[in-house]
Amino acid sequence: MGPVYKVGLPRALLYYEFAVLWRTFFNCLDMELVVSGKTNKQVLDEGALRVADEACLPVKIFFGHAARLIAEGPDFLFVPRIVSVERKAFACPKVIGLPDMLAASRERVLPLLRPTINLAGQQPGIGLFCQEVGKVLGCGAKKARMAWDKAVREQERENELKAVRFFQMEEKLKEQAAGFEGKEAGVPILLLGHQYLIEDEFLNFNVLNKLKDRGCLVLTPLEVPVEEREAAVSGLPKRMFWTFGKTLMGAARCFARLPGEKGAVVLTSFGCGIDSFVVNMIIRYFKQAGIPQLNIVLDEHTGEAGVDTRIEAFLDMMHWRKSNGKNHLPAHGPHLGNTERAFGIP
Amino acid sequence: MGHTWVILKGLLEYLNLNVVVPPATSKRTLNLGAQYAPEFACLPLKLNLGNLIEARELGADTFIMAGGVGPCRFGLYAQLEKEILEEIGYDYDSLVLEPPERGIWQFLQRIKRLIGSVSWLRVIQAIRFAYHKACLIDDLERMVQEIRPRELKKGTADKVFNNSLLNIDRARNKDELEEAFGLARQKLLHVPAVEESGRVLKVGLVGEIYTLLEPFASLETEKKLGYLGAKVTRSIYLSEWINEHLFKGMFKRKWSRKPFKHFAGPFLNHFVGGHGQESIGAGVAFAAEGFDGIVQVAPLTCMPEIVAHTIFPRVSEDCGLPVLTIYVDEQMGQEGVNTRLEAFVDLLREKRGQYGPGRQKKRSSLDRPMTIC
Repeated sequence: MGPVYKVGLPRALLYYEFAVLWRTFFNCLDMELVVSGKTNKQVLDEGALRVADEACLPVKIFFGHAARLIAEGPDFLFVPRIVSVERKAFACPKVIGLPDMLAASRERVLPLLRPTINLAGQQPGIGLFCQEVGKVLGCGAKKARMAWDKAVREQERENELKAVRFFQMEEKLKEQAAGFEGKEAGVPILLLGHQYLIEDEFLNFNVLNKLKDRGCLVLTPLEVPVEEREAAVSGLPKRMFWTFGKTLMGAARCFARLPGEKGAVVLTSFGCGIDSFVVNMIIRYFKQAGIPQLNIVLDEHTGEAGVDTRIEAFLDMMHWRKSNGKNHLPAHGPHLGNTERAFGIP
Repeated sequence: MGHTWVILKGLLEYLNLNVVVPPATSKRTLNLGAQYAPEFACLPLKLNLGNLIEARELGADTFIMAGGVGPCRFGLYAQLEKEILEEIGYDYDSLVLEPPERGIWQFLQRIKRLIGSVSWLRVIQAIRFAYHKACLIDDLERMVQEIRPRELKKGTADKVFNNSLLNIDRARNKDELEEAFGLARQKLLHVPAVEESGRVLKVGLVGEIYTLLEPFASLETEKKLGYLGAKVTRSIYLSEWINEHLFKGMFKRKWSRKPFKHFAGPFLNHFVGGHGQESIGAGVAFAAEGFDGIVQVAPLTCMPEIVAHTIFPRVSEDCGLPVLTIYVDEQMGQEGVNTRLEAFVDLLREKRGQYGPGRQKKRSSLDRPMTIC
């Protein structure tokens, strides 16, 4: 029985994707895992001070969380270098360089635990990961390996549970399309974005709940089963080499084949390199498929009303589309249910 | 991309293909590109797209470009550009040269489709000829970089170089090429210049490959630094890049050295795509070689260079070397860059502890590491 260390894990970036994995992993190793609290304005401000201005918003948030954890003083700060989590696909360069970026910041008070996870190549790189963790935490590579295997199983189970929702939704929409009375399911909306944007309520002004409150049937990318997503992107002329780009593209393509009227709300963060390309392609795809979409770019501004207005306007537009059964409706006219006034926005 | 056109044109014309060289990258290119490209895309994509539109206006119907398999965005350039061009009604056929996914055979077939009935021997000769051209052009460029800070009339060396470039472009075989090179070298050696007296600063230019090699993209940072009295050494020269990445270091040349990425530890221990690791490595290597400062140039939102930028303050502190980072995008203004470069060069002179002649080896109290972001 080795010593019990307190290991800090910032609640940012890929935490949201692999939360169950890390919890189970450190649990099995008998370490105490400390996760930083939810994002707030202070976290964002602190993060923005610690990293280059040109970095994207999620990275700034990550630095904020790391700073907060450093203040709490765990024994290690766990910043895995996630190069790749599957064959022939990578994470984003900033995610790969994250441990080095953190190590280069001015305050170096905590020892960093930064093993590399690289599953892209021929040889599974997980052995190296376990060796390093085992060595640093003094629990041995074998135990780390066992913990890893268990953690991966847990994470996969969690992912499968999540992914049931896609089929449920498909079922519901098919019933609706078949015209069963009284089965009004709400407007299906795909909330497209990286998991760290969708789950961070501070960052996205709680868009998820806003949509749900307005009676939408919301689907997020990870709720589409991974096999479906993979199948959907396998036919692309150029193979997508970012895991997260694949997730977005795959989810968008799966969503497009659901029956009935539907729309997509696309969340991107300011300065995101992957989104600048992938979302551009997705929006072009949506245009061809005739799916209306709203692209919200999130940045350091904290004005909530702007986002509210845009979501309301988007949903209004969706309703008119549905009730009038046609595309390209003007922002005035009788379909608004108000025949007396017609107004335009200059 | 800079003088790359001379080399690629040489290569393709050697294979009896008809080559359209788009007009030199200009404000118009940028405007065209920025109009159709995604807002947060990096500058090279916008310029590239603009080039393609301009080439189309001159009648090109197929584009050849390099590709990649991540994690830098460059790997998706060809695909995205094709989609955008299709949307605005330009039908292009494309040939993307990238690491083959389904074996070398597929790769060779793709090339065969391009070259038609030309023999493979001819292809190998063409590649050797083009590489030779690249090496000679880089040799001339290094000469120009050395003359710029010393020449009596600013811009003479550049004029000679640009003129020689056209001569080299016209060379059809090895003899003509050698002759053009020899002539250019003679002319450059006779550019009136003062003797090196220890006042010339040594500045390393690092960063993303496109912004380093294309003068328009970096607002001629390299030239400006030269005129301000600094001998500039870039971290990337085209021939070295070709040798390192395409020939896997087969040829050894006078300038050859260990690839910069080996110097990057412990600051950046892993490949981050693009030239992020090379930038850091070059910074460290230049510091060891006694350079006065580093200028990093990168397109805005360039992912690998942001990683490097975040790490540079630490490099600067540990190696005692000032670093200036310049991001370029379509909003750039020439004067803004000039001012920053002037200030940076002033700072380097101050750091040397002298505005007079003679180089001070000893570090003064002013020799604090500083980084301007």
